[in-house]
Amino acid sequence: MKKVLAVAVILVLAISLGACAQKPQVKEKPPIKIGVQVPLTGDWAYEGQGMLNGINMLAEQINNAGGLLDGRKIEVIPADDKSDAKEAALAAQKLINSGVIAVVGSYASTLTEASQGLYNDKGIVQITPSSTATKLSEHGYKRFFRTCFLDDRQGLFAAKFIVETLGCKKVGVVHDNTTYAKGLAEWTKKYLEDAGATVVFFDALTPKEKDYSAILTRLKKAEPEAWYYTGYFPEAALLVRQAADVGLKARFVAGNAVNNPEFVKLAGVEYAKGTIVTTEPLPTDLEYPEAKKFLQDYKTKYGEYPGSIWHLMAADAFRLIVEAIRQTNSDDPGKIAEYLHTQLKDFPGITGPILGFDERGDRKGTIHKAYVVNEKGEFVPYGK
Amino acid sequence: MGAVPLRKLPPGLWRGLALAAAVAYPWLVNDYWVDVMNFCGIYMLLGLSLNIIVGYAGLFNLGHAAFYAVGAYTTAILSTRFGIPSLWLLPVSALAAAAFAYVISRPIIHLRGDYLCVVTIGFGEIVRIALINNPGGLTGGVNGIIGVPRPDLGLFTVRSVDQYYYFILFFIVLFVWGMGRLERSRIGRAWTCIREDETAAEAMGIDTASLKLLAFVLGAAGAGLAGNIYATKMTLVAPEGFNFWESCVMFCIVVLGGTGSIPGVIVASLGMAALPELFREFARARMLVFGLAMVLMMIFRPQGLWPSAHWRRQVKRESGVTPMPSAGSPAQ
Amino acid sequence: MPRPLPRCGAGGSMEEFVQQLLNGLTVGSGYALVALGYTMVYGVLKLINFAHGDLFMLGTYLAVSMAVSCLGAGLASPWVVLPIIFLTSMGLVGVAGVLIERTAYRPLRGAGHLAPVVSALGAAVVIQNAVMLAYGANYQVFPEGLVPEARWIVAGMNIPVLRVAMLVLSLILMAILYLFIQRTTVGAAIRATSLDHDTARLMGIDINRIIMLVFLIGPALGAASGIMIGLYYRQVYFTMGWIYGLKAFTAAILGGIGNIPGAMVGGMILGLFETLAAGYISSAWKDAFAFVLLIAILVLRPTGLLGERVVEKL
Repeated sequence: MKKVLAVAVILVLAISLGACAQKPQVKEKPPIKIGVQVPLTGDWAYEGQGMLNGINMLAEQINNAGGLLDGRKIEVIPADDKSDAKEAALAAQKLINSGVIAVVGSYASTLTEASQGLYNDKGIVQITPSSTATKLSEHGYKRFFRTCFLDDRQGLFAAKFIVETLGCKKVGVVHDNTTYAKGLAEWTKKYLEDAGATVVFFDALTPKEKDYSAILTRLKKAEPEAWYYTGYFPEAALLVRQAADVGLKARFVAGNAVNNPEFVKLAGVEYAKGTIVTTEPLPTDLEYPEAKKFLQDYKTKYGEYPGSIWHLMAADAFRLIVEAIRQTNSDDPGKIAEYLHTQLKDFPGITGPILGFDERGDRKGTIHKAYVVNEKGEFVPYGK
Repeated sequence: MGAVPLRKLPPGLWRGLALAAAVAYPWLVNDYWVDVMNFCGIYMLLGLSLNIIVGYAGLFNLGHAAFYAVGAYTTAILSTRFGIPSLWLLPVSALAAAAFAYVISRPIIHLRGDYLCVVTIGFGEIVRIALINNPGGLTGGVNGIIGVPRPDLGLFTVRSVDQYYYFILFFIVLFVWGMGRLERSRIGRAWTCIREDETAAEAMGIDTASLKLLAFVLGAAGAGLAGNIYATKMTLVAPEGFNFWESCVMFCIVVLGGTGSIPGVIVASLGMAALPELFREFARARMLVFGLAMVLMMIFRPQGLWPSAHWRRQVKRESGVTPMPSAGSPAQ
Repeated sequence: MPRPLPRCGAGGSMEEFVQQLLNGLTVGSGYALVALGYTMVYGVLKLINFAHGDLFMLGTYLAVSMAVSCLGAGLASPWVVLPIIFLTSMGLVGVAGVLIERTAYRPLRGAGHLAPVVSALGAAVVIQNAVMLAYGANYQVFPEGLVPEARWIVAGMNIPVLRVAMLVLSLILMAILYLFIQRTTVGAAIRATSLDHDTARLMGIDINRIIMLVFLIGPALGAASGIMIGLYYRQVYFTMGWIYGLKAFTAAILGGIGNIPGAMVGGMILGLFETLAAGYISSAWKDAFAFVLLIAILVLRPTGLLGERVVEKL
């Protein structure tokens, strides 16, 4: 009897919650399959879901307008890599088997790293929207690209900004031991020292915890004039609040993973204000017509603006694949990669003009800027 | 459930059938499902090795990922730094993990039940944190180590998913064979004795501390070997592949299958690897269904999918004198 | 625009130490409250309730919902809103705890030692993912203005009022629990049940009701801790229970699992040790130090700091 009761309770739970998930699927002409390998569950689910939303919307628009290559529809095939490297390899395998010609993804550098070899072996084009670790493009893969910019360029920008614009000579650097944040922290440290500043503090915190007062108290003791945090926004929000609590008054500068409206929401305006972020421009700040249209469409469809620049980078990655298919009039991955490497120039991207790709597949140029959180809790360009 | 009529067949027959099915598998499905099975196979190796510790010796180990990590990192470091072929590193990884297990379990071997469990969790976390913090620049921090070479068998290099499938299958067969022998050996029987009643075992003259240590060392060696295969298969190692949840999965495999049962581990690994894949249709609700399945499984078959003979006897005996209140219906 | 150097008073290291102590104590009191849930369940069932951390997380999510809807309904006074949040969320999480006991653990009594662990892990996965599906995968935030954000400045040290309040409230809850367990008849029944089910039953104690009670109190305390943590740190995430739970559980073992003052002491020690390790040695290695401390204590005292040396049952 008890067991029956137990099962009943569990089944009701299962049905009520499982019912949320449904997957409609329509099949027509042979579609052009484009994979989206992003974390839809796990720690980075928020980023992955936003990326997929944006791409689904674009694909729908293109399909409604008649598709590509004489009416072939685009089929977006999502693969959840669950924020986990092993799952990333499996997700890649899944996409390979479903016959995709190109893949957008993944979010974090570890996830991209675990999958890029597999795509390369099968000749599939891969464009990561947000994995900025330098070494990803050092494997010599000819069909690997990224629409984001590398860690070292942001590090250089941050160091120059802190030393030259803010005039701070004693700087603390804190990262969170993730691939991305540690890389950025190390580059920044190097460039800070090159610029003549002293790095008085360099340590990592453990992400996903709540209390960072210990590391902040120690940072305060090192008496920095400014401190740079390279990790993600949730921890940054905790850090600014607790920095006030331990009485750390040094100028707070953060990397682009803090470039997210959620940061202000989590920290509260009172604490967030004055925070400077070195970053690609914010989604809602982009003046390009492509960006304005994308943001408006996204808002109409999903009820809110995309929360992070990476959602737009993913959309750009997808648009580049579509552009290459259109221009080469082919769905051959080799031709697409060739086009992206050699012919693509000054493509009007959502995240600004895409000048082209270098021989390693890295996006040329840079669009980093410094933003500061104002009294109203908005990110505004610094110094304006 | 389905296991019951199967068990009535002569053991040689179903073993043969299982092996034949395993050999034929890659011809029946596409690469994706072969690769799912490859990861599943690595879990089988891990489950089989953990089974020595949890199933045979009855030691509560929720830190098996630490041994797995030591094996994988040994392979990754030695192959990328010194160019040692990764196949040679198979035994080296197993030895390294065994040595590590010996060193850490010596001082803690006298701990009982849940305390041992927590200490193993602790070691698992210490290893993971150490890997992240990159001591001496050896482990590559969160990035881990990339570019681990594939095993070169002389005639050819194991590379494609099918080749890996048979490579892993070979070790599974080896493990199953070895463990079957171990189970029936003097050592295996001594472990059973310790698991059932440690005090009595000691009174019978069994050197419990050494045997428990041996279980840890052998189990760790198996995990180290699995670590080598994982490292060469992924061609990279990173600390997140060895977190606490991995240890939990291995532990669940042993218990879900039926503690101490070799076919149980095989069946449970298939379940743990295949279920989340089958539930991909549920998309975001997939892990929820997975958790529910774990709970339901334990409610209906607390003895596991394919319990070992020992376990069945033990439950029968215990259910008579259980210290627990009789509220729940008795476990069948 | 260069800023003046932040001033640091003379004798800064003493201030730093005191500040780190306060930091550690607040962290520790959070661990202690959650650890109590692990320890009480372990006491009566000899089961590690791996789902406890996720019940704690559920508590913070429910509290966020409650706070948002209270403010939405025009209730703004903290004196009204906070008690509502605490009581309903603690109550609901307590009920969830009982429900889990009923469905996932009770059918497994007498099924050995290992099966309930898997069931508990499964329950943890279920709660975590159910919350993710219900609330979405992004961070939830407590609304602003519910709690004072003032700070006292004592001898050059910043002392946030909220931290002190958290510490005090945790200590009060622990004291109430301690008195309840030690001084009341029901408390005595819980203690008796921890010692021996059969004898307790012979004394006329309804074991199932005691177990139910424990599964009500433990998660409710966890929820209280979760709400305080939510109020102070503001952000709530669906995987936080797993991380926090592992720490709290470590604290329970450190103090001697099954022992209620042990959980309190263990939580405090773990919090302090971790904070001092992060503050004086290395933040990146602090969790490793915490586990080294745990192992060292268990090697020296195999049943934890305050655990009794039990003779294994034959």
